[in-house]
Amino acid sequence: MQQTLPVSPPSNKVVQLGRWLRGERLTTLNLFVTFVIICIIFASQAQYFLTLENFVNIGRTLGVVGIVSIGMTLVLITGGVDISVGSVAALSGVITSILWLQSGVPLGFATLIGLAACTLVGFINGYLIAFVRINPLITTLASFSIVRGLAFVLSNGQTNQLNDDTFKLLGRGEIVGIPISLLLMIALYVAFFALMHFTQFGRNLYAIGGSPDASRLAGIPVRRHLLIVYTLSGFLAGLAGIIIASQLASSAPRAATGLEFTVIAAVVLGGTSLSGGKGSLIGTLVGVFILRVLDNGLVQTRVSSFYQDVISGAVLLLAVGFDQIRLKLTSSLGGKP
Amino acid sequence: MNTPLLEMQHIQKSFYGVKVLDDVSIDLAAGETLALLGENGAGKSTLIKILNGDYLRDDGEVLIDGKPVHFSEPRDAEAHGIRMIYQELHYAPELSVAENLLLGRLPRRPGALGWIVDWNLTRKQAQDALALLNVQIDPMTKMRDLSVVEREIIEIVKALSRHARIIVMDEPTAALTPPEVQQLFQIIRNLRERGVGIIYISHRLDEVFQIAQRVTVLRDGKHVGTRAIADVTHKALVHMMVGREIEERTQVRQELAAVQTGAPVLEVRNLSKRGAFEDISLKVAAGEIVGLFGLLGAGHNNLTQAIFGIERAERGTIYINGNAVEVRSPRDGKRAGIGFVPLDRKINGLVLGMSVRKNITLSNWRVLAPMGVFWHGQEMQHTRHWVDQLGIRMAGGIETHTRYLSGGNQQKVVLSRWLEANVRVLLLNEPTWGVDVGARSDIYDQLEALAAQGLAILMVSSDIDEVLTVSHRILTIYKGRLTGEFMQAQATQEKLLQAAAGGGA
Repeated sequence: MQQTLPVSPPSNKVVQLGRWLRGERLTTLNLFVTFVIICIIFASQAQYFLTLENFVNIGRTLGVVGIVSIGMTLVLITGGVDISVGSVAALSGVITSILWLQSGVPLGFATLIGLAACTLVGFINGYLIAFVRINPLITTLASFSIVRGLAFVLSNGQTNQLNDDTFKLLGRGEIVGIPISLLLMIALYVAFFALMHFTQFGRNLYAIGGSPDASRLAGIPVRRHLLIVYTLSGFLAGLAGIIIASQLASSAPRAATGLEFTVIAAVVLGGTSLSGGKGSLIGTLVGVFILRVLDNGLVQTRVSSFYQDVISGAVLLLAVGFDQIRLKLTSSLGGKP
Repeated sequence: MNTPLLEMQHIQKSFYGVKVLDDVSIDLAAGETLALLGENGAGKSTLIKILNGDYLRDDGEVLIDGKPVHFSEPRDAEAHGIRMIYQELHYAPELSVAENLLLGRLPRRPGALGWIVDWNLTRKQAQDALALLNVQIDPMTKMRDLSVVEREIIEIVKALSRHARIIVMDEPTAALTPPEVQQLFQIIRNLRERGVGIIYISHRLDEVFQIAQRVTVLRDGKHVGTRAIADVTHKALVHMMVGREIEERTQVRQELAAVQTGAPVLEVRNLSKRGAFEDISLKVAAGEIVGLFGLLGAGHNNLTQAIFGIERAERGTIYINGNAVEVRSPRDGKRAGIGFVPLDRKINGLVLGMSVRKNITLSNWRVLAPMGVFWHGQEMQHTRHWVDQLGIRMAGGIETHTRYLSGGNQQKVVLSRWLEANVRVLLLNEPTWGVDVGARSDIYDQLEALAAQGLAILMVSSDIDEVLTVSHRILTIYKGRLTGEFMQAQATQEKLLQAAAGGGA
């Protein structure tokens, strides 16, 4: 960008800032600015928008998408994709309710089994992708369909009540005014951020996405890492499914339909590359925020719900498109993006 | 004097206030081959990109047939008959030669059947194009069935059939065997007769002497000089490129021969893999550099890959320090204390979109992070240590993505990863492919220093000068079998070539 400026040398601090603000950091900053602009627009249009109450409301809706997005970010960083998350989320709720209502398993235990089943689905996805070497899109498209079908078979297509006060806490409870699901999400982000940035495992995921061949030759057990990542994605999707069931106090086989698209949109919006090797959880978090705030704001400004999807899609294209144009500009000026 | 076909005068270009081209001028006559020489970072590619309209020049003029031209994008350059032939070729592998040659302008049937391709005419037009340069390739062959040189030749034919007047070749021989290089040169001579001007970029000086009439040398973005090829010597060119004398290697060779070597660190017994190598036994001692010389496809690459665990040998045993080790994956290889510098560092050696720091510490966590968690400061410290020790040079510090490093510096990053991993055996595959003269000398120095520190080094190479320069001991391989063993002092080019061609020791 400095290329276009006249020759007068910028001060040292500006240069330093310019160096620091490159690549992903700049993407995240752009995104944050987008976020603020969206907030300003809504605040000027809807008086209720900028209230604490409303933000607690938004917070309540963040948990599910936010948690699933963690797994998706990891998967995309390795260069893969997981389409099955919405189906998997439905499965955990269905299994939990069936075990509790029909087999009399204690609810806490039933929940654990539901989570374990989802983790298993993720494990199978990972095994097929890493060891049988089926393309991730194909693999998870198949499990997307199979798992959704299973949810219908197991529940007989019925919605089941999950009316238990302790169970409902997860989705509806609050601690000092903050929704528990949001706290859980924040804790998970902190943990996974540490995992991605301070551990060998996280670094390896970036390397695998950047170049699977070079990673293997550097001695990284690539397949094992992929297996773990898809397993994690399955587990997190299952956890999100439990939160949904808890929020609705019921489980439905058609729950979380289309979740995978919202999640992929949020992650990509956050600057994670579909071709792997690049991305960050902070970006994802901002991406999730933007999509959720957008939904909330559009409802409050009484935009027809038909238009909401159109606008969400357009924001995605705009944000990602701008980033691509910026990258292209810097590279044609001969700079290093 | 006639007006030159192309003149680039007083070209200036800066990126972010850094001058990468400072008053560079070149000229090219029709039917002439001009070699453009310089180390990586000298400004060759920037100059070429300006010619091709990829970059805009800050100052200076480009003239074609004496008329000033302005290219703001590659399409403009193409309209003036300028064609680039890059190292990485772009073609549709599943289509035939003819289809690739005529891509986007396949001839159609006449009249109402104008939407149907006329295959007979396609074949004929392709044949005519190939005949221009006397190329003997069936136009109906699929691209992917051709050898590398044939694909390159097709690219040249394509350029010519689209009325190329100036062809720029960027290291066209990087992936070619010596006979293929000669094949390519024949085509270049044919081009010359047709009045095409050629700018030839290469790191291989002997090729420049064979094919070019004049040579222009750049260094650090400056024009060092342009000479008729008959007026310069090999040594003078190197001096122009590097700006200093490259130390005479024969001197070092004497010292190498005198190095005392220790007990074998790597030993391979009766290693076999059908179709690749057969019954290979060899030893490499601590402090020893063993060169494994063979022509392309002789099985030496497979052998090192098998020792490191990338492919699996069917029979035989590998010993490290006298203990038999089972190596089933690169991870096992690394655990056994083996490092591997692959042939294609850009695909297999480096994660190009990651920084120098992250590439050096990649999967090196025994020391840095015994529990899987690392400290940034310690990581920086380790990285700096290797950057200093190996003299890795990069424009933007250790956070620069390895994509932007020169070939020699990239190779040093791969090397330092294995040093960080504290390996005892280092396997190298063609360590200086695509590396320029100065950096090559650097890498040889490093290998010698590493051997002196007690590493056992097995270096695979098809470059006979390289093998003769840095090895203490040389093995030759032909069709998967070892055919000779030479101590440094006894080895000569003739002996090695004979043994590597199956002529026996």
